[in-house]
Amino acid sequence: MSTSILSLKSVTMRFGGVTALNDVTFDVKEKEILGLIGPNGAGKTTVFNVITGVYHITSGSIDLQGKSISGMKRYKITKGGIARTFQNIRLWGDMTALENVMTATDTHKRSGLVGGLFGSPVSRREEKRDKKRAQELLDFIGIGEYADRLARNLPYGVQRRLEIARALGTEPKLILLDEPAAGFNPAEKVELAKVIRKIRDAGYTILLIEHDMSLVMKVSDRVVVLDFGQKIADNTPQKVQDDPRVIEAYLGVPEDAS
Amino acid sequence: MINLRDKGAAIWENQGRFGRIGIALGAMTVAAALPFMGGTILNTPIADYESVLVYPIAMFVLMAIGLNIVIGKSGLLDLGYVAFFAIGAYTMGLLGTRTGLNTWEILPIGIAMAMFSGIILGVPALKLRGDYLAIITLGFGEIVRIVALNLGTLGRSEGIINIPTPPGIFGIEYRFDSHRIYYWTLLMLILLAIWMVRRLSVRRAGRAWESIRQDEDAAELLGVPTFKYKVWAFVLGASVGGAAGVFYASKTLFIAPDNFTLQISILILACVVFGGMGNIWGVILGAVILGYLPDRIRFISDARLLVFGLVLVIMMNLRPDGLLPRKKREKVLPNKEKP
Repeated sequence: MSTSILSLKSVTMRFGGVTALNDVTFDVKEKEILGLIGPNGAGKTTVFNVITGVYHITSGSIDLQGKSISGMKRYKITKGGIARTFQNIRLWGDMTALENVMTATDTHKRSGLVGGLFGSPVSRREEKRDKKRAQELLDFIGIGEYADRLARNLPYGVQRRLEIARALGTEPKLILLDEPAAGFNPAEKVELAKVIRKIRDAGYTILLIEHDMSLVMKVSDRVVVLDFGQKIADNTPQKVQDDPRVIEAYLGVPEDAS
Repeated sequence: MINLRDKGAAIWENQGRFGRIGIALGAMTVAAALPFMGGTILNTPIADYESVLVYPIAMFVLMAIGLNIVIGKSGLLDLGYVAFFAIGAYTMGLLGTRTGLNTWEILPIGIAMAMFSGIILGVPALKLRGDYLAIITLGFGEIVRIVALNLGTLGRSEGIINIPTPPGIFGIEYRFDSHRIYYWTLLMLILLAIWMVRRLSVRRAGRAWESIRQDEDAAELLGVPTFKYKVWAFVLGASVGGAAGVFYASKTLFIAPDNFTLQISILILACVVFGGMGNIWGVILGAVILGYLPDRIRFISDARLLVFGLVLVIMMNLRPDGLLPRKKREKVLPNKEKP
């Protein structure tokens, strides 16, 4: 829990007249699980989108290990070490689970189209290595047995986990999980919490958006709370839960309170 | 409806190495023997059967394989594919009549020209998606034809005449009426194109295209340099179209803008969709049928195109994914089956 891997400094994101993020500043520290919570429309997914380059921020800066990544091409940001999952599952349905992960591992391949066409030794070696790596990742997430199934035919829970395996395939330093537990039953949530910890223990840093409070509070080392595009808290799970501003954001204040 | 694709795939997968080589050799032999079937039921009334085999059938197959890289593999709707065919043909026409270069020397130049124009078109156009890309490519196809129609060097509406036939190689002579020889040469080009596509499909490029086709944004966010691979798809598709064009010009000896209308683009697109987008065998089958059918039913003369259109409509209703659709089935090893 020392150096920060990603830092957002006064990030502001406006869409026309709407300010989705207003002067948001926070760090993600190496090998931590940072929970990002907030009521609906608070700007959580927007944070993911500005980090991964889907949107270009209006002002402020985003640094990955000291180097600015704002304005970079999306696939280059991924190559630089940030991968994500999607709130609504976006797997490549007509590919097998293994191929889904292998497409992600291609990120760091040296050989490209020409090498593949003529079967250059580099291409062949990388192909073999990545196939093994992809299977390892599927096993790591606990869905190794589904490797040869088409992604579209997989059960919902497996699809969610495949999204995580695919993101890990890009060999990220930081992985962004966007509501990985959406639609899970309590038993599956417990299982997921284990997987998330396991990923962190393997040396990855995790930024987690999640609506299920018990899950976030259980796995996170630290929690950042957003409300209406502004950061209102940044603390340990315990302290965040007791923070009056957080309670206010989620529950509102009774009219006669003040 | 029976699933031909899965049946075929099952047979293929259950074969050992020798079985597969046997099937491949058998299929090649059948394809190579087609010119000798002129006396059978396959014969086309009115049009010369052997020349039908060369154009449209073999030519359509080659172009459909090329267009399939763009549309079937990467999901980029290209409505101006004929442009690359035209560029290949005009390269042959121009260089063949004005320089001492022969067809074999012009072939790589024609391919390079088509690839280059693929880049010229692709770099600005591929920043757009879907309908917009379709409109731009449609325009490009027309632009090339209209340029040929207006440029004096390219012979305007008279086109280019007296394009030389390929010089003989390995003791094989190319006379303008030796259709079989052209057909077999095209078969070689088709094999080469199949090899290229299959090679690319199983590796990084194939996965990149597949991911772009299914969800381009997700692909980009998971590290796929989407723009680069889209341009590559365009350029490779163009190279096949260019090769077909060079050969076409060298076969017909005469080309004019009328040979390169929008109709060709649409027909090749129909071959790809009818056969089964993304599945190279389906695309080949589609191109063979759509190339052959209009000449086979030529005896009903006026109603010919009506019947052709009707067959298309009925088939696409029965099999919306084409004759041999892309992979949908999955291998599940028995011991991995969940109880």
